[in-house]
Order: sequence, then C-alpha cells, then structure tokens
Amino acid sequence: MIVAAVAIPILTVIFKLFDGPGESWTHIVNYVLVDYLVNSFVLSFLCSVFVIVFGVTTAWLVSRFEFPFRKQLEWLLILPLSIPAYIMAYSYAGIFGYSGLFSSAVGLLGIENFSIDFMNIYGLSFVLSISLFPYVYVSSRTFFLAQATNLLEASRMLGITEFKSFFKLILPLARPAIIAGLVLVLMEVLNDYGAASYYGVSTFTTGIFRSWFSLGEPETAIYLSAILLVIVFGLIIFEKWQRRHLKFTSAKSSKQQHNSRIKPTKRKQVIFSLICLLPVFLGFFLPVTQLFFWVSQTFTKVWSMDFIGITLQSFGIAFLTSLMTVLIALLLLFFSKWNKINFLKTTSKLGVMGYAIPGTIIAIGVLIPSIYLDKWLIQQGITSKLVLNATLIALVYAYVVRFLAVAYQPLESSSLKIDRSLSDSSKVLGKGNFRTFFKIEFPLIRAGLLSAFILVFIDILKELPLTLIMKPYNVNTLAVKAFEYASDEMVRSAALPSLLIILTALVPAIFLNKLLLKNANNTHNKKPY
Amino acid sequence: MKNYFYALIVVAFVFGCKSEPKEEKVEELTVYTHRHYESDQALFKLFEKQNDIKLNVVNASADELIQKMKLEGKQSPADVLITVDAGRLYRAKSEGLLQPISNTLIDSIVPANLRDTDKQWVGLTKRARVIAYSKDRVDPNDLSTYEDLTSDKWKNKILVRSSSNIYNQSLLASLISNQGEDFAENWADGLVENMARSPKGNDRDQVKAVANNEGDLAIVNTYYIGKLLNSEDESELKAGNSVGIFFPNQDTSGTHVNVSGIGVAKYAPHKENAIKFIEFLLQEEAQKIFAGSNYEYPINRNVEPAKILKDWGSFKEDALQLNELGENNKDAVIIFDKVGWK
Repeated sequence: MIVAAVAIPILTVIFKLFDGPGESWTHIVNYVLVDYLVNSFVLSFLCSVFVIVFGVTTAWLVSRFEFPFRKQLEWLLILPLSIPAYIMAYSYAGIFGYSGLFSSAVGLLGIENFSIDFMNIYGLSFVLSISLFPYVYVSSRTFFLAQATNLLEASRMLGITEFKSFFKLILPLARPAIIAGLVLVLMEVLNDYGAASYYGVSTFTTGIFRSWFSLGEPETAIYLSAILLVIVFGLIIFEKWQRRHLKFTSAKSSKQQHNSRIKPTKRKQVIFSLICLLPVFLGFFLPVTQLFFWVSQTFTKVWSMDFIGITLQSFGIAFLTSLMTVLIALLLLFFSKWNKINFLKTTSKLGVMGYAIPGTIIAIGVLIPSIYLDKWLIQQGITSKLVLNATLIALVYAYVVRFLAVAYQPLESSSLKIDRSLSDSSKVLGKGNFRTFFKIEFPLIRAGLLSAFILVFIDILKELPLTLIMKPYNVNTLAVKAFEYASDEMVRSAALPSLLIILTALVPAIFLNKLLLKNANNTHNKKPY
Repeated sequence: MKNYFYALIVVAFVFGCKSEPKEEKVEELTVYTHRHYESDQALFKLFEKQNDIKLNVVNASADELIQKMKLEGKQSPADVLITVDAGRLYRAKSEGLLQPISNTLIDSIVPANLRDTDKQWVGLTKRARVIAYSKDRVDPNDLSTYEDLTSDKWKNKILVRSSSNIYNQSLLASLISNQGEDFAENWADGLVENMARSPKGNDRDQVKAVANNEGDLAIVNTYYIGKLLNSEDESELKAGNSVGIFFPNQDTSGTHVNVSGIGVAKYAPHKENAIKFIEFLLQEEAQKIFAGSNYEYPINRNVEPAKILKDWGSFKEDALQLNELGENNKDAVIIFDKVGWK
C-alpha cells in the first residue's frame, strides 16, 4: 500500500510519456534540445568531479585522522547543504559581482573595480557542488566510520601506506556509499531551476520550465520530465548492474578499532585541518558572511515577530515529515529486500526517483491523484468539497514522495554492507523476515537512519515549489518567505529568512551528529549480536 | 542540552498543529496570486479589515496556479486569479478558467485596451518596458525606438535578460502585433547581434552592468529602477543614479506597457466577495499603495504615480489590446529560440 502510494505520483508522470508532448515538440527538438542536453551533461560531469573530490577527501580525513578542530569540522561539513542552492547562487554573484566582497577585498590591494564574472556554467557548477557535496560527505563518512577501519588495519600491517590503501582499497570499497551520495547530488543538479536560470545557463530543467511557462504547454514539460526520469532510472540500473558481482558486505568488526584514528605529524595535521576547512569556508562561512552583510542592510525593514512563528512552524513540519519519510524509506527497504517478485522490486525503486525531477512537476504528480481521490470522495457523498486539497496531509504526502530518495539512498548503502550471513543465520534459527530485519539489520543501519534524517530535515526546510502550491493557507515556511523576496529581485531582504533556515538546520546537524558519533562508538565497542 | 532539544520539538509541534481552522461562519475569499510584493500583503490586510472578509492566499507562479485550477475543476476553491502579466490571464481565459464580470465601476476606471474584450479579466497596475541608458556614455537624442536598437551603432552595447522572462516575451509579442512576425524575427535576431553579453541575471543586474560599463543600454521594467533608486545598498543606489530613463516609440506606436491583472474564477464559490475585492483594488486607496510602495503605474487615473516615476514625466503608451500579448506569446518564444536569444 505504502509503496504504491509513494510510487503513484511518479508513475503519473511517467505515464504521461504515452500522452505525448505538446505541439511545440518538433520546435524544441530542432532548436534547443541539444543545447539543453549538452549543458546538463557538462554540468553533471563538473559537479560529479567536484563533489567526489571534496566529499570523499573530507570524509576520509575526518574519520581516519586526528587533527585540530576535527570534531567541529565533522558537523560543519554538513552545513553547506542548509543554504538553498539559489540563495548560494545569489550570494556568490554578490560576492564576485561589482563592488562585492571580492572586489572590495581586491580594492584594498589597490586594484580598483575588479570583478569576476561568476555567472556562467562553471560558476554554476561550483555553486551547486559547494552546496551539495555534503551528500557525498555524509554517505561516505557513514561508510568510513562503520566499516573501513578493520581493512585498513590489515593493510597497514601489511606495510601499505595510508594513502595508497585509500586508492587501492577504500575507494573501491566505498563505491556504493559514494554513489549513493552522488546520485542525490546529480538528481538535485538536474532538477535545479533557480540557480541555473539566474546564471543564464539553459539546462534540461530550465527547458522543462520554458516549455511550460513560456510556451504554455504543461504536457510538453511533463513529457520532458518523464524522459529525464527514464534517463536517471536507466543510469541507476546500469550502475547496479555493473557491480552485480561485487560484494561489499562485512560486519565482522573487531573491538579496538574505532579509537584508532591516526595522529599524523603536526604539519600534516595543519594541512588536513585546512583541507577540511576549505569547503566549509567556501560553502558556508563565505556565503553566510554575505548573507549577514545583507541582513545588516535590511534587518529593520524585514524583521517582524511573525518570523518566530514561521521558524517554529518550519521546524515542526520538517521534523514531523522527515520522521515519516525515514520510516517509509525503511519500510521500502525492507520490502525490496525480502520481496521475491522482481517486478514489485523495481516498482518500489521507482518511488525514490522523485528526487530527479523538478518539484513543480512532482507537485502535478501529487495533485492529480490527490484531487482525484478528493473528487471520488465527493462522488461517494462522503464529503462535499475538496478535503485533502491545501491541507497539511497533502503537503506532507508530497514531501515524502519528493524526499524519499534522500532517505533511501543512505539507508540502502548502509544496509548493503551488512553481511547477508547475519540475517541468514537469524533465519536459520527460525526468526521471521520481519524480526530479522528489526533485530539484526535495524541496529546495524542506525547510523544510516540518522544521516538520512539529517539530510531530509534540511531538504524539507529548504523546499520550495511543493510548499508553495500545496501548503495550507495559514501555514508559512522560511523558504517561502525567502522566495517571496528573492523573486521580487529583493535578494538582500531574502537574506534574513535564509539565515533563519540555516540556523534551524543547525539544530539537527549538531545534535544528531553527536548521536551518530556516539552510535558509531557503540557499535564498534560491542559486537552487534 | 538534549532536554532543550525535546522541548523545542514540543513547542514546534504545538505551533505546527494550532493551525486547525475553527468552524465558524465567516465570509471568505480565496486568492490565487502570482504577485508576492509587500504592497499586496498590506492591501490584503486592509481589505480584510474593511470588509470583514477572511482572505485565503495561495501564492505561486501563474502557470502553476492555472494548472491547479484546471485539476481542481468545479470544486476549485479559487475565487480570483492575479497575475503579473496580461498573457497569463489570456491563457487562463483560453483554458476556460475565468468568468465574465459586468461592472460599471471597472469599465469606468480601466481603459478598454487594458481589460479583456469579453470582460473576463482587468488590469490592476501598469508597468512600462523602457530603455535605461548610461548617462555618461549615451546621448538620449540618439535613442528613438525599440526597432532602432538593432542598428549597428548599438553593437555590443545592449544588456537584456533571458527570453524566459515574460516581459521580454510580451515586448516581442507586441512587436509581432504592431509590425508582423517577419519583422519581429529580424528584430530579435538583430538584437541578439547587438547584445553586450549572453543574457543572465535579472532586471536589476542589467542596470548594474550598465553602471559598470559592460554595455550602454539596458531594457528593463520601470519599477525595478524605482526600487534601485530606493535601495538600502550604496552600490545599487549608484547604479540606479547612473542611468537615465528613455521611453521608446514616442513618435510611433508608444512605449510597451503590460499590466498586472485579475480575473474571477469560473467556479468561484464567493463571486460577490471577488467583485468587491476587485472594486477595492481599483479604487484610489488601494491604487495609492500599489503606486507608492511598488513603483508601478496606477491604472486609476485619479491616482498619481510615485514621485520617482512622475519625475520621468508622462509618456505615450502603446494602445495595443493586451489580449494580443497572450495570443502572440508562443510565437514570440519560438522566435527567441530560433534566433538564439537565450
């Protein structure tokens, strides 16, 4: 039931493939499609390289080595995610634009009016990567913390250097975890609209919006989205197929390893701190400084007591919904793990594809079935008007559909590495699937659960298009406030709600991260069974 | 620490849940709007207070709202649809989502070309698309028409945003109406040739680029200049002050204007309130708020525009019936794609 409920909106979009595109389709193919595809490809490629370099390196450093500020950096590295990509895009355009922070800094050196044109595809790749690399960081760190140490111990005993074993051993082993993060990054890169359109880069998604808003053909927009879905789905299947023979399981952890962070030389320690600080600086401190500057200009104009209520509302909604999303992702995982029917397995995977296409299109996918249900209720005489429409229920449902992937990916990757023999032996001992799952696997993927929760929470805080179109009349979120200002070209005023989003995101990032680390210690210090 | 965390969650839940509406019989009006200006929030509050009608506001882009209304069909709670351009109202009308309103007050205030021929929508405020020129480098006597912007003297001088922007689409749609499709295509092609850079950023960014010598002319909407000139940021103020405003086509068709407008939904549950709302928005009190805080041109002639706008002087407007902007919108976008205006 739940699987079906989650997959319905996605299927609604995919079935639109059979309705065909609108009349402008040939025009799009003839004039702009190639441009869209090339740009999206280049963007995806650049972002992949960037997020892997930043995400994996930092994750490896913080989980393998001891260096100054490591503990703080561990959660600071998640924070760039809390800045909505389009706000990041505006801040960077502001920083590098005319009389921005950068030009003023250079001005101090005596060079006047120097600015860098940041608004192009390279700038866009940078902006998206720096705000999204935490996905890769979180997923690979979860892997490094829970997993890699015993292997590294072994390789170290064999005299292989830490760096060499990183490339020879860790990178290949961490592949599912890295891919899990990367998939999320790419999905978000592909569905980004705000940043791309501001920087003037025509991507596949700006094309989707153009065919809808400009050409007035929502059917063509949905058709394009369905194609995008199929491509992403294909890529994921391909990646799975490619590593079908590889096994990444191991739960034979030993006791002593966790505290075996290596203490390198002082010089190296400083270098490692700096390496980890760099993405935090670029992805968090620098844009936040810009936001603070803007807030200082606009605070008196923008601030009102309403913001306190809105912040709490945002927090409440995000908390409730992330909890539900993670639970449903868990169910889905359980379902796809034990279900024998391959067709159903694939369908359940479809549910997590929602993240790849723009939220606005998902909104249509959610609106169609929910309004259909509403109308059916009216027909049955149960209700007299649309009851689900514009309620919290519909909104939460929409969020779950959209962010299931964000919860599912870390869970799946952390469950992959559980040795099948564990659950098999449990079953041999006569325990059912369900009990096995909760008694054996659940504790082992607790780290994945926490990471998933943090990511979904932050994502929901930032979410915009679904919130706008589905929210109840009297509910407001910080993301909506920020957008109201930004869309009116009042970026400076949007800085205040943006900063509040970031502050709210700090709460789970810090608390849950503590829990995550404690958890990692526990699972290492006692055997899980 | 942990306890604080739990306490916070509880508080957040209380806030999250308190939104359940009470079962009272109150007069309501549901507004689907694309406008998210601060001036509107002030207006909504004023209307609620004066008429004791509770407003439910859904804020999203016009096309999303149109799609939502289509899906909701007869059960749609929407009473009125507000957009920031005439083309989208035309689109809603073509989809059969609006209904005609006969109202003498509306007819007496709004000029005929700024409302629908079938009475299905009316303009609320006007915005003009003008040329902002560098005061240092351009002699305004060299400027004349939109058409002239394609001449060689402006090579690599023109700044304009992406063609995804509705105001660029409307401008080209008006050229299609006034000059024909072939002319419009040539014009767009020539303009792309003259661009100082590939289109990016918003209208404010175009003016800032002129101020920083990336080009000499920017095609922008009037109210953005108004906002630049009232910015809290020094560099924005400087940018706003560095450009002059030129109203093109004064000797020919007139400067291109578009409206932000409103229509009553076909299945509006509160039609009477909707009409009351439109009348309210067109009358002087509301029009003053539109003009004062958002630098739009009021549609009601009895209300003067903001001081900045008044200083630019009055100008001849293009008298085109704005439905044509909607009719030609798609053709305009197709031309943009053909000539490679990003």
